Amino acid sequence: MSFSNTEKIENRRGNPIMQRYKTARLFFALLMGLLLSLCTPQQTKAYPEYQSFVEKNSKRSINCAMCHVNESGPVGNGPGQLSSLSEEDMKQLNKARVALEPASGVKSPILNDFGNKIINAVGKRKFLEYKSAPEKLAPALGSESDLDGDGIPDAQEYLDGTDPLNKFHGDPIRLFWINLNRYKTHVILTVLAVISINLGLLNLVKGISSIQKK
Amino acid sequence: MSLNSLLNSAIQFVKDRFPVDKLNYHYMVEKKEVPVHKMSWGYYTGGLTMFFFMIQVITGLFLLFYYQPTVSEANVSVEYINKYVAGGSLVRNMHAWSSSCMIFCAVIHLLTAFAMKSFVKPREITWIAGVLLLFITFTFGFTGYLLPWNQIAVNATKVGLQSIEYIGEYLPGQLAEIPRIIRETFQGEASVGQSTLGRFYALHVVILPLTLVSLLGLHLLSVQIHGMSQGVDVPAKKSEKFMSIFIFKDLSLWAFIFLCLFTVSLCIPFDSFLPYPLLAPYNPLGSTPAGIKPEWYFFFVYYPLELLPFWVILLASMAVVGVLIFTPWIFKGTTRKTLGFITILISIYLIVMTIFGEQIYELFKH
Repeated sequence: MSFSNTEKIENRRGNPIMQRYKTARLFFALLMGLLLSLCTPQQTKAYPEYQSFVEKNSKRSINCAMCHVNESGPVGNGPGQLSSLSEEDMKQLNKARVALEPASGVKSPILNDFGNKIINAVGKRKFLEYKSAPEKLAPALGSESDLDGDGIPDAQEYLDGTDPLNKFHGDPIRLFWINLNRYKTHVILTVLAVISINLGLLNLVKGISSIQKK
Repeated sequence: MSLNSLLNSAIQFVKDRFPVDKLNYHYMVEKKEVPVHKMSWGYYTGGLTMFFFMIQVITGLFLLFYYQPTVSEANVSVEYINKYVAGGSLVRNMHAWSSSCMIFCAVIHLLTAFAMKSFVKPREITWIAGVLLLFITFTFGFTGYLLPWNQIAVNATKVGLQSIEYIGEYLPGQLAEIPRIIRETFQGEASVGQSTLGRFYALHVVILPLTLVSLLGLHLLSVQIHGMSQGVDVPAKKSEKFMSIFIFKDLSLWAFIFLCLFTVSLCIPFDSFLPYPLLAPYNPLGSTPAGIKPEWYFFFVYYPLELLPFWVILLASMAVVGVLIFTPWIFKGTTRKTLGFITILISIYLIVMTIFGEQIYELFKH
């Protein structure tokens, strides 16, 4: 969201006090920006090719949290980031790093369930190969895995740019048809209940109306 | 004009709008007739808006059982409602979907009432109460948006509150301070935080509902006293009894709409329309994710605000509010044909900005 209007308003200010205030504020902002850039862990995209592909394909913005534990990626000292890993975690990570073939059963501490699913399904070697053609990852994942159980396969969620680990997040149209089929009994029972209640209410109104006429 | 005659005129104005002799069940319900003509569907839009408000109240009460209005727990409690409370996801989705439907129906109701010239004497108070109800409904949307305390909620609220302060730049002298004071009052602290959440919560669940119910009472009383407006230039040849034909149709429509709402809420989580990074818990130290924007019903003012200078939108908004409030006097002599034409133009603007606003913004910005 842009803040362009603030700039327009502030450009109108011509008096010297405001100018000095503006300069001081600019200096302060620059200083704070510099400090923040030094202190805040930068979002490091481990394999930006995949993110670019998904965003282009789905027209939805995504972040590292699709495959990583931390939404800012693996670099940093936050939860699920490299600098915060324990000795045991590092061992797990090293195992995952050399899991070149599929079905290695590894569980990397910097990846979430979907990230680990990818490595276990295709192996690190293929995963690195697909960097140049990220669309090949979806068929390689297959259509059976659905980690969040929302009915949309993980591979499809990858293509749609939706969260494969949140059953309340998915392509709305796909979710509609899947859930309609899943909850058809609920819908039918609700239709019957609403029709019954409505008939009851209509008869009540009719009764009141006929009493009034008398 | 002397003070006495002014007072007499005011008393007469109120007497004409609320005639005591008509304040009885026989006149307001039994005797009430609803004209039947090509615009009759417009009479159902108000009832639908009220129906969605009732859904909001019921689902909102259920959500109150679990929602925690603190910055540390708000998002977690929403997640808890979704994942662990039986039917929680359905109730939350119904609340979200019906809020959008309520705003949609309120706008349609306003437009049809305008096109049908339902604001002329003695319905001025009905109209003004209706306009105020619409503003309150929008404020409901704005305050409710913050409550899940996720990235989009907090960042969009920050921008919304900041916009209030910008108004001060265009006001003279001491008046320039008022928008800042308003923003600080709602925000409660230096940035959007616990105080803001607490205040928005109080507004959303206590202050606004009480205000809305009071105004709705006035609006409905006025509608029942004066009956449905004629709606068309040539008086309708047919009419139907409010009790029970119109009520029959109204209840059947409500039942149908409830089924649609239930099915949609059960099958499509409202959040699934947003990119998932925007639904992550708000992180005050993290960067603002891309794609922050208000709810769809603010697009008609949001995208023009992004494209045009702030003062243009400010002036236009003030003019629109003024025209809406004084519509009964401004358009007193306007024909329904002209009003219909104006309504079509407004509808086209609203539809285009809501559906294609983003594309228009991209087109002009790049």
